[in-house]
Amino acid sequence: MVDFLTLGFFQRSLMAAALTGGVCAVIGVFVVLRGLAFIGAGIAHAAFAGVALAYLVGGPPMPFAIAFGLGTAWITGLLEEQGRMKLDVSIGIFYTATMALAILFIGLMKTYNAEVYGYLFGSILSVTADELKLTAGLATVVVGLLALFAKEFFFLAFDQEMAEASGVPARRFFFLLLTLVALTIVVSLKTVGAILVFALLLIPAATAYQLTSSLRRMMAYSVAIGVLVSVAGVLLSFQFDLPAGPAIVLLATGVFFLAVAFSPKRAPKPALS
Amino acid sequence: MPHPHPSHTHPHHADHEHGKPLIRFDHASFRYPHGPALEDITLEIADGEFVGVIGPNGSGKTTMLRAILGLMPPATGSLQIFDCACQNLRCHHRSRIGYLPQKRAVDPNFPITVREAVLMGRAGAIGLWKRPGKADLAIVRHALEDVGMEDYEDHPLGALSGGQQQRVFIARALAQHPQILLLDEPTTGIDTTTQHNVLDLIQRLHEELHLTIVLVSHDINLIAPLAERLALLKTRLYALGPAKQVLTKEILAQVYGPQILTTDTGHVIVADHHHN
Repeated sequence: MVDFLTLGFFQRSLMAAALTGGVCAVIGVFVVLRGLAFIGAGIAHAAFAGVALAYLVGGPPMPFAIAFGLGTAWITGLLEEQGRMKLDVSIGIFYTATMALAILFIGLMKTYNAEVYGYLFGSILSVTADELKLTAGLATVVVGLLALFAKEFFFLAFDQEMAEASGVPARRFFFLLLTLVALTIVVSLKTVGAILVFALLLIPAATAYQLTSSLRRMMAYSVAIGVLVSVAGVLLSFQFDLPAGPAIVLLATGVFFLAVAFSPKRAPKPALS
Repeated sequence: MPHPHPSHTHPHHADHEHGKPLIRFDHASFRYPHGPALEDITLEIADGEFVGVIGPNGSGKTTMLRAILGLMPPATGSLQIFDCACQNLRCHHRSRIGYLPQKRAVDPNFPITVREAVLMGRAGAIGLWKRPGKADLAIVRHALEDVGMEDYEDHPLGALSGGQQQRVFIARALAQHPQILLLDEPTTGIDTTTQHNVLDLIQRLHEELHLTIVLVSHDINLIAPLAERLALLKTRLYALGPAKQVLTKEILAQVYGPQILTTDTGHVIVADHHHN
């Protein structure tokens, strides 16, 4: 067992990067396959509004972020299910409304609070031992549940109605998936921030999608890419004194474009060697 | 507990002896938020029967299959499947019903192999908390053999032709070891030769595996020779019986209007016909 307290800030941020990158990449596979990418963006902004409200009223940021994130996840999930409104429209409204709330809450604060902005842009280099524990605990829960119900979640991602018809309680799993997405995003706020967490959900999975025609391999590639770019991003930010979040995201984007260029699905060539 | 493979329990059962009713609609009506989908349906389908469901677009054909799957409880009346009210269909009952939904475009880049797609058919039977084992992989292989796709196990699903994908989806339904197989427009969107291959396959599955089949199609001429009984729907059940009794000029004109023609050979031509 790693004793998080004895780690220096450098090891802590590397661990946080690996954990966040890994867990986002795992759940990102289902987000990409089930077409929930935009929901992820909505949840991230709602969670940030929760953090802003917490700072305004002097409450604890995490519970507020979880409440806002889960609320958005469930409501947009219900809207998608009922199909009353196009999903991009309903999420677009949520996305901007929660962002407006966040800006409103920040504006109402009497003093400038730099910590709030840490949740927007992430501050992986100042991750505390407690935050690292929380991230590790969440990663265990999310990965554990996804592994336990892998066949159900994959079926859901491929064809939800078919899954329901085959005797899988697909609707419950859909809401469980939304819940796990929301929790992943909330816990990643501190490390990569509300704006960039979305990239960690999307890019490793989307990159893996380019490289393989098998679900299992897509999962393996996605996790490998997520962990590697996150750790490499932190190392780069140390080496060249760059902000870590953008370093991670831009590195991931670079890998994504390489994957698109060399995708075996597009060209009759073998994948990256 | 997986069921034994039907082919072992009912080898070459070609004589169409029908057992007890598996599906029982009793004055059942089904509604969507915007209006009625099916009204006052009374229909029994027996174990081992092959029923073709026909009717114009929007006549409630797909709704009937969704109802049998337990996805839509009746607003009035009742629907019993395996002696279970359909709204109480337990998951393990659902796994005894194989379903081939109306063909929709498979994302050609969706990363899934033929084996992975067919294995999904086992999800309900395996149950939660458990992973597929060797027995499930053997069932997948067997199902692919049943549809003649065993050489494609490791192929990406998206790389197959429409007819091949349809066979794989039938294999997925078979991997459930179903008692009932529901097929929604299984020949739509594939070329004529392949259409006949797929229908031959369905006929063979019906005879060899003794599957109860409910097949929905807008193409009366394709299914009339196969189905033992036809159910003609247009929100209500207009006619039910062997093709000869159902496909009369009078009955068809009631449902399709005057644009229907029947030839002396029993061929039906619907003028102004829109596919979906």
